[in-house]
Amino acid sequence: MRTLSTILLLAAALSPPKPVWTGPSVTLLGGPSKDGRWLSYVDHGDLALRELASGRTVVITKRANGSKEFAYFSTISPDSRRIAYAWFNKLGFYELRVVDLDGGEPRILYRNEETGFVQPCAWSADGSQILTLLFRKDNISQIVMQPAAGGLPKVLKSLNWIYPKKMDLSPDGRWIAYDSFASENSGERTIYLLAVDGSRERRLISEPGDHLFPVWTPDGNSVVYASGTGVRMLDLADGKSRSIADNLGRVVPLGITQDRTYYYGLRTGGTDVYASEIDMAQGKSGGSPRPVSIRFPGRNSQPSWSPDGQWLAFLSRRGTETFGEETRVLVLRAAKGDGERELAPKLARMDAPHWTPDGKALLVRGTDRLGREGLYRVDTETANAVRVAEPVDANGCSPAKAVLCGTELRVGAERYETTLAKPTELAWAPQRDAIFVGDGSRLVRIPLDHSPVQKVDTPSGFSIHPNGRTIAFTAGSTNSEVWALKIP
Amino acid sequence: MTRAAGFVLLAAAIAQAQVPLGLDAYIPAPENNPLSIEKIALGRKLFFDKRLSRDGSIACASCHDPNLAFSDARPVALGIAGRKGTRRSPRIANRAYGKSFFWDGRAATLEEQVGGPIANPLEMDLPVAEAASRVNLSETELRRALASYVRTILAGDSPYDRFVAGDRTALNAQAQEGLKIFRGKGGCIACHLGPNLTDESFHNTGVGAGDEGRAKWSGRPEDTAAFKTPSLRDVASTPPYMHDGSVATLEDVVEHYNRGGRANPYLDSELHRLQLTDAEKRALVAFLKSLSGTIREGSL
Repeated sequence: MRTLSTILLLAAALSPPKPVWTGPSVTLLGGPSKDGRWLSYVDHGDLALRELASGRTVVITKRANGSKEFAYFSTISPDSRRIAYAWFNKLGFYELRVVDLDGGEPRILYRNEETGFVQPCAWSADGSQILTLLFRKDNISQIVMQPAAGGLPKVLKSLNWIYPKKMDLSPDGRWIAYDSFASENSGERTIYLLAVDGSRERRLISEPGDHLFPVWTPDGNSVVYASGTGVRMLDLADGKSRSIADNLGRVVPLGITQDRTYYYGLRTGGTDVYASEIDMAQGKSGGSPRPVSIRFPGRNSQPSWSPDGQWLAFLSRRGTETFGEETRVLVLRAAKGDGERELAPKLARMDAPHWTPDGKALLVRGTDRLGREGLYRVDTETANAVRVAEPVDANGCSPAKAVLCGTELRVGAERYETTLAKPTELAWAPQRDAIFVGDGSRLVRIPLDHSPVQKVDTPSGFSIHPNGRTIAFTAGSTNSEVWALKIP
Repeated sequence: MTRAAGFVLLAAAIAQAQVPLGLDAYIPAPENNPLSIEKIALGRKLFFDKRLSRDGSIACASCHDPNLAFSDARPVALGIAGRKGTRRSPRIANRAYGKSFFWDGRAATLEEQVGGPIANPLEMDLPVAEAASRVNLSETELRRALASYVRTILAGDSPYDRFVAGDRTALNAQAQEGLKIFRGKGGCIACHLGPNLTDESFHNTGVGAGDEGRAKWSGRPEDTAAFKTPSLRDVASTPPYMHDGSVATLEDVVEHYNRGGRANPYLDSELHRLQLTDAEKRALVAFLKSLSGTIREGSL
């Protein structure tokens, strides 16, 4: 009997993963129902269900044409009768809603302007509580239990702005598994267990490595999680972890059904930076584009040539994250030879790198480790990042009432010409002596003392070498697929 | 029921107790010192017990007065025989969520911290073991009991907490404007963040020249005169301010930061001139006053 069990376990373990849904409609914002019948997802902004066996889809919500509202993360109740989901509302923030699977009017469970984002993660077995992640305006994320009948959530633990990528509730409702950083100075995540009654917390996985996306098995005996490009399972009884599948790719776990089918999303494809000769006068390419780097293929984007043409800077993804903020580094690639070096500034997010005119730094749009968005200057020698501009309020009015009016910037009674045809972005210089104004592709600095407007070299989708004959650009795309894997 | 199971149940009962609005239900405690009713009660008695000082004249509560939000109205701590300390007595509410203790963060746990003032010659001036024997406890028992009690001193449920929880009427218009400045132009949130309004980190704001601060323990020159960010809970009722008690009012505190702190080689890079208008300063003070709420201690 023991031998048979072992054989069966091995057979289960050896079952290869199978694709269950591919194509352009796939989103990875929901999860499977416990009975394995449904998969929740987002269909053009509406909450929807896909019947896994037949492929039939049911759109649950009904957005008005042109509406800015949309559905986001969702989770189906254990009895497969309700769905909790995040809904981006007219006021510009997410609220937590519940709707019956067979339709009807949704109920708002949690709506708080101070909490800009909500993510329902799991239901308690009795359907009375929803494990939810809140993300507050002050860049604090919180693990809460939201009563499904409504009312104030119980805040179990507050974390900084770097929120868990995944949380799940144990079948007995006593423990929450979530991922967070292994230590304050670590870029690697690991898995923690937090008691739902708030009495205890402990680190579940001590081994080094990037461990994230925990999901409980239906029997509550194990936690399945992603590690690198594979999936592992930790047995809570003996604390031992073993591999379930290796080399899957960029995994986004969606959930486990009662029959122990592990549904997960895969991010496929990728982007790379290419260079090509171009005849600027004729607008013709002068040859086949060539990838500029063979390291980390599929992870590179957003090139920018240095003013002297000696270096090409671009972003390169390093982490295993599959949604939300990605761990990126700046790569400086020598124009001649194979020299490359990396800059890893202490920023949680980086986008749109572009060289400063003196060639000593890169300007990036980003977020620091306190969650503060802005424009950062990254020194190319030290990788030190300094914020040089911060965004104003979303409504375009800073505390000093800076507003854009046509091509004009108005600060109180003062008026400034932006030199841009359609300025859309405002940001204050930290010293409050100037305002940065952008139009999506260009950026200027407007000193408040009315001295001349200064052009700031700006990000764009491609970068032309100073020699005027070489262009660097990003090419490629990413797609999502849903796969299933039987776990032992 | 096993002893271990009993502990788990008790810990669960403690956690089920209502923490003040704005705080986490999970109250961190070391594995070897889980909260218990007995230890909290014992710690509470010890907190007020003057036998823990050499001459029996002061207790922990002498400088952490429950009537002053567990703070002290004096600029610096006053020990036995009128001995003057060099730093202000820190407020100790919500220290359960702390990551290091004392203004310079030299203690890693509350168990370690509680012995500091007892042994400090400028404060209670008694070896901790001797203090413990005076109350018929081991040193470990004394430390664990006091730490357990301190973990139950919880401040929250302020108008700010109610506002953040979704009650848009909890802050008046001026305080709401102050909150915007706190998070935006003032940049206060760079250090005063989270449920306890502190990053639990160390910063040089140009206050208290001559005190090494964090650098004494970290050995890093850049930590010179850097001190731990204090929580802002109940800040309006706990003057004077800063680690040396050198700033008398909230208005003066705001003015200090409006000027960008006091220039020195190790001034924190977050500080710069804010150019707040008078109305903005008043709004910021109004917001700071909204951080006063209720304090719960000693109960489960």
